[in-house]
Amino acid sequence: MKRLGLILGALLAVLWTAPVRAQEGSGAIRGRVTVEGTQQPLAGVVVTFGPHTVQTRGDGTYLIAAVTAGTDTLRARLIGYVPVARSVTVAAGQTVVVDLTMSSAAVSLSELVVTGYGSQRAGSVTGAVTQVSAAEFNPGRIVSPEQLIASKVAGVQIVDNNEPGGGISIRIRGATSINASSDPLYVIDGLPVGAGGGISAGRDALNFLNPNDIESFTVLKGGEAASIYGANAANGVIIIETKSGRQGPPQVEYSTSASASQVTRLPSMLNASQFAAAVAQYAPQSVGQLLNGNTNWFSLIDRTGYGQEHNLAVSGAGQSNNYRLSLGYLNQDGVIQGTTAERMSLGLDYAQRLFADHLNVRTNLRGSRSLDNFTPGGVLSNAAQMGPTQPSVDATSATGYYNWPGNSLQSADNPVQILALATDKGTTYRSIGNVQAGYRMPFFEALTANVNLGYDITEAQRQTFNSNLLHAQLKAGTGGTLSTSNPSLLNTLFEGYLNYAAPLRFVAGSIDLTGGYSYSQSHGEYPSFNEQNLSTGLLGINGIPSAQTVQNTLDIEDSKLISFFGRLNYNLSDRYLLSASVRRDGSSRFGPSNAWGTFPSVAVAWRISQEPFMASHKGISDLKLRASWGKTGNQAFANYQQYSAYTVGDAQSEVQFGNTFVSTIRPAAVDPNIKWEETDSYNAGLDFGFHNQRFSGAIDWYNKSTSDLIFTVPVAAGSNFSNFLTTNIGSMKNTGVEFTLSARALEGGQRGLSWTADFTAARNTNELTSINPAAGGVQKILTGGIAGGVGTTIQVLEPGQPINSFYVFTQKYDAAGKPIQGSYADSVPRAFHDPAPKWILGHSSYLKYGNWDASFTVRAWLGNYVYNNVASNLGSYAEVTRGSPYNLNTSVLTTGFTQPQYQSDYYVEDGSFLRMDNVTLGYTFQYRGQPLRLYATVQNAFTITGYSGVDPTAGLNGIDNNIYPRSRTWTGGMSIRF
Amino acid sequence: MNPRTCKALASAAALLFVAAAGCTDTTVEPVSTITSANIFSDPSSYQKFLAKIYAGLAVGGESSGDGRTDIQGIDGGFSQYLRIYWESEELPTDEAVLAWGDIGIPDMNTQTWNAFNVFPQSMYYRIMLQATWANEFLRQTTDAQLASRGVSTALKATVQQYRAEARFLRALSYWHGIDLFGDIPLVTENDPIGTPPAQSTRAIIYAYIVSELTAIQSQLPAPGASTYGRATGPAASMLLAEVYLNAGVYTGTPAYSQALAAAQAVISSGAYSIDPSYRHLFQADNNTSPEIIFAITQDGLRTQTYGGVNFIIHAACGGSMSPSASGIDGCWYGNRLKPEAYLRYDLVNDGRASFFYTTGQTLDVSSISNFNAGYAAPKFENVTSTGQPGSNPGFVDTDFPMFRLGEAYLIYAEANLRGGGGDAGQALTYVNALRERAYGNTSGDITAAQMTLPFILDERGRELLWEAHRRTDLVRYGLFTGGSYIWSWKGGTSAGAATDAHLNIFPIPATELVANPKLKQNPGY
Repeated sequence: MKRLGLILGALLAVLWTAPVRAQEGSGAIRGRVTVEGTQQPLAGVVVTFGPHTVQTRGDGTYLIAAVTAGTDTLRARLIGYVPVARSVTVAAGQTVVVDLTMSSAAVSLSELVVTGYGSQRAGSVTGAVTQVSAAEFNPGRIVSPEQLIASKVAGVQIVDNNEPGGGISIRIRGATSINASSDPLYVIDGLPVGAGGGISAGRDALNFLNPNDIESFTVLKGGEAASIYGANAANGVIIIETKSGRQGPPQVEYSTSASASQVTRLPSMLNASQFAAAVAQYAPQSVGQLLNGNTNWFSLIDRTGYGQEHNLAVSGAGQSNNYRLSLGYLNQDGVIQGTTAERMSLGLDYAQRLFADHLNVRTNLRGSRSLDNFTPGGVLSNAAQMGPTQPSVDATSATGYYNWPGNSLQSADNPVQILALATDKGTTYRSIGNVQAGYRMPFFEALTANVNLGYDITEAQRQTFNSNLLHAQLKAGTGGTLSTSNPSLLNTLFEGYLNYAAPLRFVAGSIDLTGGYSYSQSHGEYPSFNEQNLSTGLLGINGIPSAQTVQNTLDIEDSKLISFFGRLNYNLSDRYLLSASVRRDGSSRFGPSNAWGTFPSVAVAWRISQEPFMASHKGISDLKLRASWGKTGNQAFANYQQYSAYTVGDAQSEVQFGNTFVSTIRPAAVDPNIKWEETDSYNAGLDFGFHNQRFSGAIDWYNKSTSDLIFTVPVAAGSNFSNFLTTNIGSMKNTGVEFTLSARALEGGQRGLSWTADFTAARNTNELTSINPAAGGVQKILTGGIAGGVGTTIQVLEPGQPINSFYVFTQKYDAAGKPIQGSYADSVPRAFHDPAPKWILGHSSYLKYGNWDASFTVRAWLGNYVYNNVASNLGSYAEVTRGSPYNLNTSVLTTGFTQPQYQSDYYVEDGSFLRMDNVTLGYTFQYRGQPLRLYATVQNAFTITGYSGVDPTAGLNGIDNNIYPRSRTWTGGMSIRF
Repeated sequence: MNPRTCKALASAAALLFVAAAGCTDTTVEPVSTITSANIFSDPSSYQKFLAKIYAGLAVGGESSGDGRTDIQGIDGGFSQYLRIYWESEELPTDEAVLAWGDIGIPDMNTQTWNAFNVFPQSMYYRIMLQATWANEFLRQTTDAQLASRGVSTALKATVQQYRAEARFLRALSYWHGIDLFGDIPLVTENDPIGTPPAQSTRAIIYAYIVSELTAIQSQLPAPGASTYGRATGPAASMLLAEVYLNAGVYTGTPAYSQALAAAQAVISSGAYSIDPSYRHLFQADNNTSPEIIFAITQDGLRTQTYGGVNFIIHAACGGSMSPSASGIDGCWYGNRLKPEAYLRYDLVNDGRASFFYTTGQTLDVSSISNFNAGYAAPKFENVTSTGQPGSNPGFVDTDFPMFRLGEAYLIYAEANLRGGGGDAGQALTYVNALRERAYGNTSGDITAAQMTLPFILDERGRELLWEAHRRTDLVRYGLFTGGSYIWSWKGGTSAGAATDAHLNIFPIPATELVANPKLKQNPGY
């Protein structure tokens, strides 16, 4: 509480320096500053008249009171705009109205960049912040919003799992955590929706948001920019702003598209004759099981996936309000049968200005229903394992599908039967909404009080059904199974903050001061129902008939985050910029001795290009040096870690006391002092622009050190209730450089050829610096489970190495270059490469000529390694000696392995690649006086890689184990306005 | 400043202040999580906590099939206590070989493990976890704790019995601990949670086990059907007999007379008799066997694990064997006999060899990974004595007879032979009682002259095959390592080779040396 008093005291002290007192015998000047051409109001313009300095408000208006009568020059300036000067004469007792228009000097510097709890002109940003707006978004079939900015921002790695709208992971400047989340915090229209974007029973938590409603993404990469979000910001912050109504009469926009997707690459398995030969040689006892079929199992489960999308938006703006109502529908089938994604969404944005524009209220409401059908588990792996000599149908079997005889535990299942008899479906209803009100004090215009009230509610259901007739169920003896989970989550938010922006009276320069309080709470309920040996499979997912084994659970979780925050931006002559912020977070997740964490930051920038000595260098339109430091936290770990919990054993884990069975309770290993992970980020950067920003770019260097890693580490046996304890121990480091270059290479005007090219390049180096600094010895924690054997892992967490480095033996090769089975150059495995790319390169081009437009995006990763688990797991002749033989990966033809060699580095492959992410061609013409655009896009046009498996972007963990195959998608669409 | 401005500012500040002051409490008590604060408000929690310590031997975790595992860093089924204990006692010996190539398993077959092997590692953690749970149970059930919770007199008496059982289970695991690992820490209820324990010695822990078992013997439940699965007085005697029998290994000073006395106490308790059917001891309804003194219980519906006896039965099946003959859903193609174990039997007359499966199998284990190399031994089965399959082909009903009267007979005989006193004639009678059951008549009886220590070792091999005693026996006889007894794959070659004596105990896990810098590695590792 003391600290709050201090913050407020400081705030008030600053306010006193800017009294606005009427004087007798003087006049006033008022007016409005707008952008030349568009007439959009300009806020934050510094207007000076003699000794008086004010800033324009959100609606562009300004008032200079108590001006001594006389004539002087009225000047207006704003970063990125051409300064304006005009001679004005003020008479005593009168108010002169002077409206000004300003023209943009350099668009890229004058853009408003959204930061937490406010916004800034791009030119005065002091930290590592990148904004991507709608014009630069990736085109084509986009199901998840995050895909819009893939390859667009240096230092942002976006990985999806190839399913339509597949769960997307984003790493900003590398992973900072091992056991907590490494996903960034998402803030949608001022409403934080959590690391990774919340919950879902479908694929990606952000899929509830219609990409077509998004105006811009702002990525707060550096700790100094993100630290205003404190304990949630260690992985960076992505601020999403949605579209709102534009000035002018009501407008209806409709856009639609249709698409078709096809698989690009599948695992390379033996064909029927190769398989039969392998069985004959290595498992002669099983030859009798082989039939004379020739089945390509993958061709029976893949398909051309079709999709369609419709978006309708009505928007407009009146004198004091604007609105946008949008409706969206999307349906996309995956390239493997059984996969679909469907979304219906509704969005409303309404803003109203009241009380002579003093009160500004903006309301955002969105709701959606996402329906995700998943390809049932095991379809892809069994398509790889199933013998190509066997048919898919068998008229004599109970289900009409063929399966290996004898129901041996060691036999693959017919994937076509799984597609027919199993269901896996997620339904997610989600709505978010908030009301943001800003009240500009009528007698103290520089001060604005803001309130933000928001909610985020999710009701979801995930249902998985396996018929008792499935081969896998017959083998396991579990009969028909049904599992249903119904997570629901309600987050509510209250934020109140004051903003003061004005030139300082007694000191040169102007300040922008923000201070506030935030309270958010979360209530989640997680019921689940699991039934085994269903009495009947007739109901599928649509009912729970009686079952032999029933396991139902309910978990309720609540959490709170309470925060105080403040930020000071100081701007001296647009040349020297200082920004400092502090956030203090109290979280219910922290243990009693660490209930509150403080996250400060400071950043400075020097706009060299504004210095008088640079005046002669007209070609240099921007030159800015930036340096910053910030501390952020990560509290994206489970609730109640600090409580000495007891967990309860289920009804199948009881023991016998005489003739009765007794269920069990177990104390959990607990660290009562658990707290946030802490990341210290240093950033140094240089922004540059030439020829009126025709060529512009930035170079950034950063160093992020994360300490107090929440790590599940081995603890001394006998000292706790497990051999591992989750505690704050260990540290990690990410360092890197980022380059961004944007060029308007050709400027052809309205009809001529224009070409804008953006390049990004980012290198990140990750190192786990320590696990348990107090302990001695070699510390290695094995991780990265693979298919093959039981509990086999292929990665290691080891100090001095990047996280999740592969942990493998050095394979020896014979003279012919063939790997020698079981022959390794070392006696224990060693850390060897890791899945994270060393370099991520991106290029986007936008071309326009007459009515035509074209764009493409290319991306390359260098130095990312992938473990080809399909090859290692099905890469030895031992697999045909099973009860019924498994099919083999064609790598066995090269290696000749007769025993699995899971830990050979032979299977760790360089996954570097270059991919044409998308190519688009569009044509726009006038239809009834409004533009109508037709376009065609190819996504994933081609990939160049030396990797032998399905996809070199095999998820974040770099383990390619029957991952969903990547697809090439053709989309044709149209957008029209009325 | 304008007074109205001041007012506005002051009210804004005050509002913010009040709002903030009212909402700075970050505490959120869990509502659907049970914590130490309320767990014992439910009187049944005492029994459930004790049940967990028993369950620590029987299953790998808290949900079906070893889900929500008790220890981490390894698969739940792999890390199940009985399964790793069985593997530690059988795979490195002349009795069994496991085909699988999972990392760490091949080394267990051949005595070629190192400190990074995940199986001894998990065994170590399992042992220490049992002790830690027992310690916590004892801390939570002191007279003071019970009084503070207002526990009823009747429950207090029951809890006293539970406390004795917890101490038995702790002593059992400490026995496994010193037998497998030598000098390990001794953690008791007096050691607080959170402090890495110091290393103790085999001899100190040996003495501790003896004193604990002696102290609790009279407090343990009486034997009988109503206490089946729990630790009884005779079970404590049997554990004492095991510990005394190996005292020479643990302390350098043998205690054969005490071993004999403890075995005698078990026998003369009169609570057990030799099961007329040897097979019944290893069948789905073996809970009805009169011979079992202490069992780790398994149940197809209520106690489901991929470790334990479920592993023993599934892994013993493969090749052309029919899983349904063993009452299970499928074969895991794992364990076979090493030839030395098979050839110990009188294959014609000894009924204990009658269940071996040789069709399609070879005697020699030419390849560890090929299930067909080596004869199969479906000794345990998920079929009842009346031929009915168990309740669930996926999870067996067959309990593991950790202590049974037959072994008490053999301990009596061995202790007698080693100078522990007792009556030699009685010892011969005991041994012949087991042989008469095996042969169906007296044709297999031996004479007093034939009863030698090597004979006892072989007889233990025949009677207790795959019952998780072999490694301890071979160590006691000085044959587990070194070159005086070589068997297939000992030391890593198919013909077998001498191994170093440091392998008599397993290494302290490398992970543990990091987590607990107070520990020193066993010599030779």
